[in-house]
Amino acid sequence: MSAADIALDVTTSRRHRAAGLRPVRLLRLARHAAGALWSQKAKAFLMMIGTAVGIMLLTAVVGLSAGVQNRINQITAFFGPRSIMVFAGGGHLHGAGGRAEAGTTLKLQDAQAIQSQYGYEAVVAPGIFSGDANVKAGGVGTQTHIVSSTPDYSEAFDWYVQEGEPIDSDDERSMARVAVLGATVATNLFGAEDPIGKHLFINNVPFVVKGLLTSKGTSAMGFDQDDRIWIPLSTGMNRVFHQDYIRFIRLKVRPDYQVASVVDQITQLLRQRHRIVPPEQDDFRIITPDFIAQRVQSMARTTELVGGALALVALLVGGVVLMNILLLSLSERVPEIGLKRALGARQRDILVEFLSESVLVSLFGMILGVLLGLVPVLVIPRLFPMMPMAVSWKTFAYAALFSTGVGLLFGVQPARRAAKLNPVEALR
Amino acid sequence: MIELSNIVKTYLTGGVETPVLHGINFTVEEGEFVALMGPSGTGKSTLMNILGLLDRPTGGSYRLAGQDLTTLDDNGLSAIRNKRIGFVFQLFHLLPRVSVLQNVLLPFLYTEPYPPDAKERAKSLLQSVGLGDRMSFKPNALSGGQQQRVAIARALVNEPSIILADEPTGNLDSVASGEILEIFDRIHREGRTIVMVTHEPDVAAHAQRVITLKDGAVATDERRN
Repeated sequence: MSAADIALDVTTSRRHRAAGLRPVRLLRLARHAAGALWSQKAKAFLMMIGTAVGIMLLTAVVGLSAGVQNRINQITAFFGPRSIMVFAGGGHLHGAGGRAEAGTTLKLQDAQAIQSQYGYEAVVAPGIFSGDANVKAGGVGTQTHIVSSTPDYSEAFDWYVQEGEPIDSDDERSMARVAVLGATVATNLFGAEDPIGKHLFINNVPFVVKGLLTSKGTSAMGFDQDDRIWIPLSTGMNRVFHQDYIRFIRLKVRPDYQVASVVDQITQLLRQRHRIVPPEQDDFRIITPDFIAQRVQSMARTTELVGGALALVALLVGGVVLMNILLLSLSERVPEIGLKRALGARQRDILVEFLSESVLVSLFGMILGVLLGLVPVLVIPRLFPMMPMAVSWKTFAYAALFSTGVGLLFGVQPARRAAKLNPVEALR
Repeated sequence: MIELSNIVKTYLTGGVETPVLHGINFTVEEGEFVALMGPSGTGKSTLMNILGLLDRPTGGSYRLAGQDLTTLDDNGLSAIRNKRIGFVFQLFHLLPRVSVLQNVLLPFLYTEPYPPDAKERAKSLLQSVGLGDRMSFKPNALSGGQQQRVAIARALVNEPSIILADEPTGNLDSVASGEILEIFDRIHREGRTIVMVTHEPDVAAHAQRVITLKDGAVATDERRN
């Protein structure tokens, strides 16, 4: 043995020690571990079932969460992120899209008071929504929604006229019988003809078409937003529907002001005007995108909590099963461990091999679980459009995180036991 | 190559000290083929485990190729086992789930850096032991003698300084034993150092030197030509 060889010995062993967990070596050991799993497929399948079930539930829960978030984003976008709606009538609202009970408590003067006090903080558009009004033009009749609102309607709802003219303050002041049509109504009544300047009847009151609204299509909640006619609020109240109350006040908060503080201010103002002293119930309701988001979220929260808890339990049970199968199969593999130690495996190498097996088995369980979990995520929204579910990157991130976690957590004890085996006894 | 001085091994079982080796001294030169003999229970296996770095002596010093091994930790010992020592066991100890070729490549799993010509080395070794046409077989498709030849190829693949063989023919019939011993003769002629435990005198006859243990000490140490 030459001096060079001795030096080689020393450097080899030093390099071995310094090697630690070099990625190449880790990869080599993991590939070897994958082979070991492949050779006992039935056992590997048993080991991954628990993880698969847990990840399946997790996928479904995360899918629901993501769906709820999407739905909230859609509703917020539809509602307007800086918007406030004040509705007439008090009491609790059932669900985010719940219909307000008919209320007659909101007056035009309330809107005017808000306008005069806080008009610099928000655009204010009071109005009435009237469903199913009868509309006729020439020989054609149809039913549609009438929105009676002031000229600020356009700015408050971000909904402008595409052709012709919008309702202006002269129309409002003079109770003009002028109408601005949504695209659907225009087509229903006038087909391909240009409706501007044409005559129509709303509940038998004659009107002239003044303009056309831009088309907004179908809303997130599934109704045709273009099926509507906008007329001046004064005309609606006095000439068509004959009522002295309004149904809503729409506010769009201007960029430099906070939605929440505007809500507080108008709540105080309306309580004062309506002589309401808490704990007396308000006779109006104020709805904001945050409010809707909370409603939608609280509906989904129970399902998320139960599903999440079940997923966690399944992952824990799956992990314990995984650990026990690994511990049981350890006894069959004692000679293998002894051999590998003799061939130069360090304790850490054995640890890595066994941990790789448990992590790989968990990752395969994860793949199976994600595939199974995506079935309800993709199918349920098709069957029940009200159940929001969506595929999100979070599904895969959480699945990978939790399955790796299970593999490491429950694989570490068997792996340590394998690594600590005395090679002499293991080879016997 | 191997320098043992005053190697002592004592097992502690249930508070009782059982001495197995009391002061073994011998030196094996590079290229020697040594047979280790003696009745069972005399500490042959214990000595082999110490030589193979699978077990540590209670006392004494062991130098392999000039390096003192008593100070190395588990990682260091593992590296020496991987690079410097080739094991051949009585029961072959092949991994049943992988092919013959993969079995021979097994030591490289723990070799740093991984040799680029690993596969070529394994294949040519398998050819040299007459198993060039069995490389993709699983070990249990082979006869006992063939399995032991795979194990020898595996022991040689990392070009170790010494081969430690523990009754390599103990589980084989006389024909297969003859073939295995021929291979040992050949690798000895190629200059490798071999220490082989056996209790069959005709197997020991292949060695140039026979060390006999008795009651945990060297009883005889004979060289022949």
